[in-house]
Amino acid sequence: MDKRESMWDVYLRKGISRRSFLKGCAALTAMMGLSTDMLSEVVEAAEAKPLPVVIWLHGHECTGCDESFLRSASPLASDVVLNNIDLEYSHVLSAGSGEPFEAHLEETIQKYAGQYILAVEGAVSTKDNGIYCMTGGKPFVQTLQRVAKGAAAVIAYGTCATSGGIQAANPNPTGSSGISHFIGDKPLVNVPGCPPIPEVMTGVIMHVALFGKLPPLDGDGRPKQFYGNRIHDTCYRRPFFDAGLFAESYDDKGSKAGWCLYKLGCRGPETYNSCGNMRWYQGMSYPIQSGAPCIGCSNAHFWDEAPFSKRLPEYGPLGDIDKIGAGLAVATGVGVVAHGALSTIQKKKRQEAEQAEHDEKQVKK
Amino acid sequence: MKEVPRRIYYLFSPFLRIFHWVMVACILTLFVTGLFITKPVGLLATDPTSTMLTMDMIRSIHFLAAFIFCAVFILRIYGFIVNKGDRLFPRVWEGHFYSETIEVALHYMLLKPSHAPFLRNPLARMSYAGLYAMVFVEILTGFAMYFPTNMNSIGGTIFSWVNIALGGEFMTHLVHHYVAWFIIVFVIGHVYMVVRADFMEGEGEASSMISGIKILEHVPKDVNEIESRE
Amino acid sequence: MKHVVVDPVTRIEGHLRVEVQVDEASGKVQDAISSGTAWRGLELVMNDRDPRDAWAYIQRICGVCTTAHALASLRAVEDALGITIPKNAHYIRSIMAASQTIQDHVIHFYHLHALDWVSPLEALKADPIATAHLQSVVLQNYKLPFTGPAKIDTEAYPKEFPQAAPEYFDTFKKKIQAIVESGQLGIFAAQWWDHPDYQLLPPEVHLLAVTHYLEMLDKQREIVIPHVILGGKNPHPHYMVGGMPCSISLDDGNAPLNTARLNIVDRAINTTRSLVNNFYLPDVLAIGALYVQKGYVDGGGLSKERVLGFGDYPDEPFSGASDGSYFKNQLIRCNGVVENFGKGVAQAVYTELKSEDITSPEVLTEGVEHAWYEYPGHKSDESLHPWDGITSAKFAGPKEGTETDWKALNEQGKYSWLKTPKWRGKLCEVGPLARYIIIYTKAKKGVLGEPTWAEKMILDQIDAVSKVLKLQPEVWMPTMVGRTAVRALEAQVNSEMSRYFFDKLIANIKSGDTKVANTDKWDPKTWPKEAKGVGLYEAPRGALSHWIVIKNGKTANYQAIVPTTWNACPRDDKAGHGAYEQAMMDTKVKIPDKPLEIVKVVRSFDPCMACATH
Ligand code: HEM
Ligand code: HEM
Ligand code: NFV
Ligand code: SF4
Ligand code: SF4
Ligand code: F3S
Ligand SMILES: [Mg+2]
Repeated sequence: MDKRESMWDVYLRKGISRRSFLKGCAALTAMMGLSTDMLSEVVEAAEAKPLPVVIWLHGHECTGCDESFLRSASPLASDVVLNNIDLEYSHVLSAGSGEPFEAHLEETIQKYAGQYILAVEGAVSTKDNGIYCMTGGKPFVQTLQRVAKGAAAVIAYGTCATSGGIQAANPNPTGSSGISHFIGDKPLVNVPGCPPIPEVMTGVIMHVALFGKLPPLDGDGRPKQFYGNRIHDTCYRRPFFDAGLFAESYDDKGSKAGWCLYKLGCRGPETYNSCGNMRWYQGMSYPIQSGAPCIGCSNAHFWDEAPFSKRLPEYGPLGDIDKIGAGLAVATGVGVVAHGALSTIQKKKRQEAEQAEHDEKQVKK
Repeated sequence: MKEVPRRIYYLFSPFLRIFHWVMVACILTLFVTGLFITKPVGLLATDPTSTMLTMDMIRSIHFLAAFIFCAVFILRIYGFIVNKGDRLFPRVWEGHFYSETIEVALHYMLLKPSHAPFLRNPLARMSYAGLYAMVFVEILTGFAMYFPTNMNSIGGTIFSWVNIALGGEFMTHLVHHYVAWFIIVFVIGHVYMVVRADFMEGEGEASSMISGIKILEHVPKDVNEIESRE
Repeated sequence: MKHVVVDPVTRIEGHLRVEVQVDEASGKVQDAISSGTAWRGLELVMNDRDPRDAWAYIQRICGVCTTAHALASLRAVEDALGITIPKNAHYIRSIMAASQTIQDHVIHFYHLHALDWVSPLEALKADPIATAHLQSVVLQNYKLPFTGPAKIDTEAYPKEFPQAAPEYFDTFKKKIQAIVESGQLGIFAAQWWDHPDYQLLPPEVHLLAVTHYLEMLDKQREIVIPHVILGGKNPHPHYMVGGMPCSISLDDGNAPLNTARLNIVDRAINTTRSLVNNFYLPDVLAIGALYVQKGYVDGGGLSKERVLGFGDYPDEPFSGASDGSYFKNQLIRCNGVVENFGKGVAQAVYTELKSEDITSPEVLTEGVEHAWYEYPGHKSDESLHPWDGITSAKFAGPKEGTETDWKALNEQGKYSWLKTPKWRGKLCEVGPLARYIIIYTKAKKGVLGEPTWAEKMILDQIDAVSKVLKLQPEVWMPTMVGRTAVRALEAQVNSEMSRYFFDKLIANIKSGDTKVANTDKWDPKTWPKEAKGVGLYEAPRGALSHWIVIKNGKTANYQAIVPTTWNACPRDDKAGHGAYEQAMMDTKVKIPDKPLEIVKVVRSFDPCMACATH
């Protein structure tokens, strides 16, 4: 605990002037989507708070989330990892391995008990005691639970960690799921995306580093700053949607003109992510801008919401619900007519029977 | 043929009747515009400079119908409070409800020539309750898709749980869309039933939603639900 | 004999455990186990999916070689359905493939591998002035001057050039100093920094390399900018069956691809070339040369015996691998197997890999004798061709310890989530080194024919490096150093490959062809009831193949045989050890408690376990 420094200390030690320090803060403020009148708060936070210790664990994952983290430009990955957090454990970046590395994990857990941030990438496999995801000779689920115990907060990076991701897609061969049920009652930040946008990943951790607390979250545990908008509501192709101008097939006139990709299956209308506003590589592009419909990669169970080329799922030769529904409606119509015909016969019979009864009564009288 | 003595029963308040017909208009509008929302056709759009915002318009009509629909629900609720006839919903806690349902069902399966007289038979009651349940789902899921444009708005705060509960907003779309079809199937069956009832029993079923009254030959089994009889 | 376990092996992708039996007296590794310890079942997830979506799912096998699986999958599906993609799409995919390979190689060397060679602590002993001088010397001696045939060169002068100023190195030294003094080493914690191997290089090399480690941490992202423009994002860019989604239009400001967007791609290609030519390649050669000079020519293992490649970079669109058109106009024709390269080119044997071999049930197979799978209805040592492949998990506990607390894995039984891929019943090493060995052997044996520009570049590079190292290719190539050095050479070829295909793309658009998608077979109604396809691809780590069986418009079986599966596979009772195990057994360990050599030789393969087990 003794040696923890604030970001300002780090800047001082590195011989960086207060002016460039403030410049750094301003860039961060803009990047986090905060207004500049928050700047003083950012400066204050940066001056007072010590560098947070981060332990980054890997479950069932593809490392795309680490890679995305490394693509961050503001802040740069190097600035995050070397100046703003103290990344003590990571299977991708850490120098150490094997026994000494596992011992270092235990030391870190103890030394910073209750203070470190646990970042988790990947899903938790639980089937058959978790033997489908072993690390250090033990099931990942056990390590996760152990490390989570002493964490101040947990960040779930990527759709794998937030809701199971690809391995949890039907038929989920390894019984995988998101991490939320395995971290006790620790505060959890969900950062979905497959992978999430680089600056979203670093932005979340910078928020913690600067403000010393978790960013404001929505009902799903996602930082509102980054997941508060649907792509459809921020998409630059939205005017074409509103005007009814759609790409009808790949590479047609509409595709070339950059019209809306809704009819090619775009999931933007139900996807919460910063792809529409921040975009990838600091505004350079996002799938839609490159002509590809969004597949909703930050949505909890998007892998099982396919086919991606269609807005509605299809049921083999039956087709989608519109086909089935229309069929059902026609069938009901036919049924109704048939029932009507039979009812007429029934009514006739009934009337005949009544008439007969009536006649009988008349006769008796 | 023969004169049958009939009695007039006052059933539906004007509030319910107005509500019913506004609902009919809204649901048909919502259904048609809804289908266009999922599968837009290049109606009027020709080029981006056109001011005809086809989708915007269709969605606006959908939302307008949705809000009108929700608003007229007040009439339905008011009717429910002031008029006993507006309260003919399933009374599942009363044992005879089940035997009566079976009896009516057997009749509709053409296995029984007739069923006991009702102001509103238990099967019909079930179907209306079902319709309201479906409409409730549509409203919930509809607003859950409508409001999150601004998550921090009151609507966003009230309805966002729906998307989480359903496992994501894509599911919300699907549920909204699937239930829409079930509503249409209900409508077909419902209109038929009304016409059929009129034809079979001749009790003024169809006109009841305009006049508010039904004319029955026999004393209906559920008459005590609209009249208190000592 | 000492039993040494490294678990987790870090600075790799995924979950890898190695175990070695070290003879303490000689330092010789008697037996080695390589075990992939996690399996996600993605082949099973593919069942019943829409083949047009397959690329998106299966791309999630790996976010490091992110695009590799998507491309192999597209090729498999397009092979099955008989789709030839438009020229532009082919050129665009090739640019994406090349930038992917370079970025992967750069990250591997600097961020995954470098800390096995250099240490921040040694860097502190360096003199910044001497380091600046060293930088100039490195650039003078180890830059390789080769270029491809690309004509378009939009760059006035290289914008990315290493600094050779003492102040520059001093800044970095101070930064490292501060980190070390803070007592919080962060990512530099818990390594065997006191291992004698860190003394092999002078401190200035350490400072230079660690500085470039940090530089490249920020720079690598720019290498994959083409993915962001052409596929919308990275990792995991977007694709489509039949071509590319990024429509081209020179009339539309909103077009996914127009002049402005192409210029971003061009700029990234230029940057990449500079990074490879001025940083990566000289750095690797400088370090490698010093190691070789000190006699470190071990760790070759299986590469001396048998390497395999599929060949890649078809010059023009092709109709598939099943019909052989994939092999017809490759720019790098390493489609085949070279055996006994370690004994010299004269004794080496080259066997071509043809389309009949790909579709034959005998040639390419996978076994599960020592893998945690079973083939129900087959004998335990049977191997299956991937079109008939089965993925059925069957875990068995370790030799010592319990199922959830391993002490020692059971090398006699099952011990890994990797299957064992085979070529004609034999194990092979794959990767950049394999590709280079095959091209070189073919050329020397006179079976290459007229080399393509890329092959000529490869041969020139091998020549140049042999001169620098003053060793024959068959000596320096099949070694740990060779494996790492060839990767850097390959990055240079790939940076020219990006430029080459960019040229072709521009020329084709110029000719008036803007088509990027072939949608003739988009509708499943146009598909046969049943179809099989295979997609071959030379991924950063080696030969990759995806195999799909489509029935009634749905995926009926999906199998991937992945480079790291070839290399890191568990042993085969008949065929022997896989490449990782052999390489470890070909390595000496100075201090068994600090098995730096083991992790270093394993990392020279650039392990990707998520890929390998999937
Ligand atoms: C969108 C189409 C329609 C919907 C959703 C609908 C829905 C309903 C509902 C929910 C009720 C029960 C009212 C209550 O007690 O709250 C009802 C009753 C009734 N509806 Fe409709 N209706 C539709 C169309 C029609 C049409 C076209 C007719 C005329 C032929 C009609 C005639 C009636 C009649 C006569 C009743 C009273 C039946 C009874 O009490 O058993 N409805 N309808
Ligand atoms: C009986 C009532 C309703 C029916 C039959 C109906 C039908 C539909 C249908 C078929 C869709 C297309 C679904 C999709 O595939 O995305 C739709 C979309 C939608 N509906 Fe409704 N709806 C009803 C009520 C409502 C209500 C009460 C609201 C509340 C505001 C609402 C709001 C929406 C919204 C926001 C959308 C999505 C529009 C978009 O994605 O652009 N709906 N509706
Ligand atoms: N092995 C492997 Fe990959 C590569 N290169 C796959 O095809 O890394 Ni993830
Ligand atoms: S969320 Fe996606 S990118 Fe991240 S680890 Fe999972 S599969 Fe890979
Ligand atoms: S492209 Fe997708 S997100 Fe953008 S407006 Fe169209 S449907 Fe919405
Ligand atoms: S696919 Fe993912 S990256 Fe963005 S545009 Fe869609 S959420
Ligand atoms: Mg496989």
